[in-house]
Amino acid sequence: MTKESKENSDQKKPDLSVVVPFYNEVDNAERLWNRLQPVLADLGKTYEVIFIDDGSTDGTRELLRKLAAQNRHLRAILFRANFGQSAAMAAGFTATRGEIVIAMDGDLQNDPADIPLLLEQLEHGHDMVSGWRKDRKDSFLIRKIPSKIANRLICSITDVRLHDTGCSLKAFRGDLLRRISLYGELHRFIPALMRIEGAKIAEMPVRHHARQFGKSKYNLSRTFRVIMDLTTIRLLMRHLRNPLSFFATFSFLFFLLGTAVFFVCAYRIVILEQTLIAVNILLILTVLLWATAMQFFFFGLVGKLIVDYGTRRSIV
Amino acid sequence: METVAIQAVDREVVPAAVAPEVSLVVAVQNQQGLVTAFDLELHRVLDSYGAKYEIIYVDDGSIDGTYSELRRLAAERPEVRLLKLRTAFGEASVLEAGLEAAQGEKLLFSTCRVRVTPNAILDLLKVLDAGSDLVIGVRHPRRDSRLNQFVSRLFNALTNRLTHLKLHDINSGVMAMRRSVRDSVPFYGALHSFIPVMAQRQGFKIEQVQVEQMAGRFNYSLHLRDYIRRFLDLISVLFLRNYTKKPLHFLGFIGAIFALVGTGINIYLFFYRLFGIGGIAGKPLLLLGMMLFILGIQMISIGLLGEMIIFTHAREIKDYNIEEIIN
Repeated sequence: MTKESKENSDQKKPDLSVVVPFYNEVDNAERLWNRLQPVLADLGKTYEVIFIDDGSTDGTRELLRKLAAQNRHLRAILFRANFGQSAAMAAGFTATRGEIVIAMDGDLQNDPADIPLLLEQLEHGHDMVSGWRKDRKDSFLIRKIPSKIANRLICSITDVRLHDTGCSLKAFRGDLLRRISLYGELHRFIPALMRIEGAKIAEMPVRHHARQFGKSKYNLSRTFRVIMDLTTIRLLMRHLRNPLSFFATFSFLFFLLGTAVFFVCAYRIVILEQTLIAVNILLILTVLLWATAMQFFFFGLVGKLIVDYGTRRSIV
Repeated sequence: METVAIQAVDREVVPAAVAPEVSLVVAVQNQQGLVTAFDLELHRVLDSYGAKYEIIYVDDGSIDGTYSELRRLAAERPEVRLLKLRTAFGEASVLEAGLEAAQGEKLLFSTCRVRVTPNAILDLLKVLDAGSDLVIGVRHPRRDSRLNQFVSRLFNALTNRLTHLKLHDINSGVMAMRRSVRDSVPFYGALHSFIPVMAQRQGFKIEQVQVEQMAGRFNYSLHLRDYIRRFLDLISVLFLRNYTKKPLHFLGFIGAIFALVGTGINIYLFFYRLFGIGGIAGKPLLLLGMMLFILGIQMISIGLLGEMIIFTHAREIKDYNIEEIIN
């Protein structure tokens, strides 16, 4: 790259990138853009807005195409099919060039007017500021309660203390954000992933509006997968550097259990003078538990191998 | 993905200076005396299409005079290129090597199992031009054995059932695709039979078109064992497609069931002993309970290891397929 072209590309780098994923939000996309634009224009910073269409079928796609063609600050990324929110956000984050990145939902429940406040918080030295829907305008039973429970669970397991991890309105320092990789359904755990990268995280109350247009894409059936993802995150956060210690704990527990059963066997044979046949089940159990202990130890070794030779050695 | 096949290839002809628009990859194996006439016909049809094209013959380790016949063709026509696999590596390697060498924007593949008429190949191309990303040929009328047709029908029905595709002949081995499909769908190993399945997940538009087969020695039948292998492949493809990035969602689920059943048995035995109904040391049920429990948490652990592999390679993962970026 020549010096001149490098300078040009530097000039093109905006101060602020706003990322919004859409899935079937035809009634909201243009309204959001109309509300977003004045707020961003008033900031006095250079900015870009990235709208991602996650394979919508209701015309959101065409709308984004039209909007992006009309506004040079707006970029649209159109997916071939529906790949989910994590994928949409990953694509958006990868495309950002801004020093600061704002993420928000495309359903108009977040208020663009909160963006300046988030930026202010970010300037206080935080790497990430998460919105907190203090006064949430959703139905109590099907949205608020499950969300509260999930939030508690996620907070206690990931050790990131936030009142509302599910709020999509968040601000990030761009270089740190671009280091995390979202795949599967990890968008729920962005704070935890940022923490793995060493981010300082703050939160602040933001406004929340009831959904006016379109349908909510939330559903309860994902609980099991969330729990599995949480287990993974927990392992990654605590033991990414040394998974051997994690698996060795299991190994040790099984070894202890096996040894205990072994002593029961020994007691029965030596003191109670039972025959080997009478305790054969217990003997098999001993061997089983010991073998399991060894297997867990080897799992730990394999885990260590994976981490040491993975592509992300430089983290934490 | 590294492949053995590519390394073992003799590259016969230099790529064209100006990239052609259409690349036709034709697998050939032990078809001496048949290729020249076929080639002539292919040229006639592709010339009529009007775009610049190349024909890449991939010789899958022929042991008769096929290769020298192909060499003569390659020497005569500049559009003909030639790859030779050292031994017979099979359809997957042929496809991979051929598409690797192909330079065109529109890629066509014709296996040596099934030889369709050159006109049918043109039909595929036309359907591709009409706006689809992947076109699968449907053999009609079929010329393979009745048994083969029956098994094939079963297999298609099963695959359609499991994937929500609506294809009549997934394994025809004759297809046309855009380069974007090739670039975003993994083609290695067993996956090649399931290109539509992978392409569907990526959101590509899939069409099918009836193709006419040539008469005579060209058309082979698959063995039953091929279908058994394909069935196993189908399972692994579905696993790969749905769970590659989240192994714990799958293994964790099975593991949790095992662990729960095991725990249930153990709790039962615990109370059995606690209330003095009888001893449990001699009960094989104890062994079963512990076994299931251990199996369960081991599966979960393997799932976790899988998650670690994915996470440490997360940078290489692209979970999506972008059709268009504006601005």
